[in-house]
Amino acid sequence: MGTNTAVVVNHVSKSYGSFRAVDDVNFEVYRGQIFAMLGPNGAGKSTTIRMILDIMKPDTGTISVLGGPLTASNKDRIGYLPEERGLYRNVKVIEMLTYLGTLKGLSNKEAQRRAMALLEELELGTRAKSKVSELSKGNQQKVQFAATLLHEPDLLILDEPTSGLDPVNTLVIKDLIMRMRDRGTAVVMSTHQMWQVEEMADRLVMINKGQQALYGTVDEVRHKYALHAVIVEGEGDWARLPGVVRVEPNRNNRGGDLLYLEDRVTPNDLLAAIASSPHASIERFELAVPSLNDIFIRVAGDEVPEEFLKSTQEREAVAYE
Amino acid sequence: MSRSMNRSMNKLWLIIRREYLTNVRKPSFLFTAFGTPLILISIVVLVIIISLSSETNIEELAGVGYVDQAGVITPEARSEEYPDLFSPYASEEEARAALDSGTIDAYYVIPENYLATSQVQLYSNESMPSDLEDVFDEFLVSSFLSQITAEVPSTRVLEPVEATLHIESTGRELTEAGITGIILLPLLLAVVFMIGIQLTSGLVMSGLTEEKTNRLIEVLVTTVTPMQLLAGKLIGLGLLGLTQIGAWLVLLALVAVFGPSIPFLEGVVIPLDLIIFSAIYFILGYFMVASLMAAIGVLVGSEMESRQYAGVMSIVLAIPIYLTAAFLSDANGTVPTLLSMFPFTAPMSMIMRLGFVNVPAWQLALSIGILLLTALFFLWASARIFRWGLLLYGKRFNLREIIAVLRGNPDQVSQPETRSLKKEAA
Repeated sequence: MGTNTAVVVNHVSKSYGSFRAVDDVNFEVYRGQIFAMLGPNGAGKSTTIRMILDIMKPDTGTISVLGGPLTASNKDRIGYLPEERGLYRNVKVIEMLTYLGTLKGLSNKEAQRRAMALLEELELGTRAKSKVSELSKGNQQKVQFAATLLHEPDLLILDEPTSGLDPVNTLVIKDLIMRMRDRGTAVVMSTHQMWQVEEMADRLVMINKGQQALYGTVDEVRHKYALHAVIVEGEGDWARLPGVVRVEPNRNNRGGDLLYLEDRVTPNDLLAAIASSPHASIERFELAVPSLNDIFIRVAGDEVPEEFLKSTQEREAVAYE
Repeated sequence: MSRSMNRSMNKLWLIIRREYLTNVRKPSFLFTAFGTPLILISIVVLVIIISLSSETNIEELAGVGYVDQAGVITPEARSEEYPDLFSPYASEEEARAALDSGTIDAYYVIPENYLATSQVQLYSNESMPSDLEDVFDEFLVSSFLSQITAEVPSTRVLEPVEATLHIESTGRELTEAGITGIILLPLLLAVVFMIGIQLTSGLVMSGLTEEKTNRLIEVLVTTVTPMQLLAGKLIGLGLLGLTQIGAWLVLLALVAVFGPSIPFLEGVVIPLDLIIFSAIYFILGYFMVASLMAAIGVLVGSEMESRQYAGVMSIVLAIPIYLTAAFLSDANGTVPTLLSMFPFTAPMSMIMRLGFVNVPAWQLALSIGILLLTALFFLWASARIFRWGLLLYGKRFNLREIIAVLRGNPDQVSQPETRSLKKEAA
């Protein structure tokens, strides 16, 4: 494992009774990168996160965190934001943050100083002495996020970090996450919001029904799911072009016709054919690379309502809508 | 190595400090710790005063002897109401023998200087009906009246006796005014104990329930170990309980110093052995109840449900207080003895018994032994359940699963989220 690796999950499985919650999951998380964990509800993401945090032990496989099995002192280098959130209700915001900061090894003074600075940044400076219960839900969530970052962890594990936040606060949190990444923190982020992954994540793993369905950089994953087809917008009798097997007409918002290619024909060949044809002109030509959202739905197909899944062909069509 | 030891001790200390400081400042704690025992004790004292004044039964006494060293009692002396109650003894030794053999229940010693001082001594193995002194007054007055001379001052006829009671079985000594005190002290300690254990173990439970409900527990267990969390809470809140007990003991010490000038409390002695045993029973009782409550707190995870368990616990803890009358009439009887062996009622029961009578040493040892073993068992069981229960959400635990966890097979028990999934999959 390289010095750049923060987490290695090595062929890990976990069962509850006869139910296999996590089945042979295998991935690495690097420092200075945002690593997304995707998957439908109940896919095994939380179990995997809990095993990384040593709350649970895997049945088989090994996990290495920050250079080895998770030690007590390495726990201080981790920041964890659980999916369902809460704080002590009858405690002042600043006391709450200071307590959690000191538990992570900061001195009382340092914890207090950093807590104030973070609160200022989150525009909660004036609420430091308010009780947690007096804050709005969104502000409580920001306070909890501050508690996760306070000790400037080397590994940040965030379960749905922006769920329930308004767009402005989502941006604030997003900036903080990116800043942590830039200073070299490894960020593991589980989310359902695909646009967030495409915007923020460097690499991803997708878990479905306990099994690892996808793994790699965001681009790798998208290209792996690329069809041997192109999307074309313009004028022409596409079916008569050499190398085109089948044409699926423009539908819904795809904004172009989908041209399936023969195996030996590359998109470049097709582009050349269009260019040399007097009867065709194009306004748009792009590879049929699906969005992460499409891939998510395809991989976790069972979770998608049935009317979308009448046939394989339609299922592919769904991927382009 | 030693650095990580330091670090983990430091975390334990941080948890102890937080639990102590956040709770000690709560007005609800201050009221429950100090207000409630005062209110409760006033009610109990009132009940005792009423019941004592109604249950005086001189008829039940086998007889009362007297040793007349002053030579003031003539053969003509007699009590109108109880003509056969009093019988003379030539010496204290003879009277003592009669007391030990059960021929009499008590005896007065009228010392040589009695006419000048009015002081007599009353010896018995238990407390005497308060009417007895009136009857003895009357008995003496009838004697004086039969031989009225210039030697007997008229004041002795009007106020013939002031007795000091020596309870031989415990060696404690009281003037009449202090009798209320000897009942009050153990009872006060028992009530303070009960409130202390209930309050602090309740805080252990509600704290955990809160952390579990708001999922802070997940953040905490990725920062500290479950054992640090459990130990930090138990110790922090245990210190809180000791603070409460300590404050009461300071109060009692003040009473001991200034007591003589307060008529109601005159003659109260605070015996050191009682305080030492108080500390032992409080600490053991607290750890037993608090670790049980910690396990419940971590399993239930809803504040309303956990309150129900706390309610049941407080009823069980209060049993000895409800049965105060049984302790007062015979603190070495079957019911008080059994209650002082059963671990959940032992702390309160034993404190009352120790205050009222001489408890046989083997009973004390057995009671502490049972309590210690129970406390250790609950600590162990709670530690086992703790790690498993911390992340168990939204389902009712059952006994079979808890037994599996105690036997060290928590993995055979499924978790709630995945269990519902399994059902979907099937």
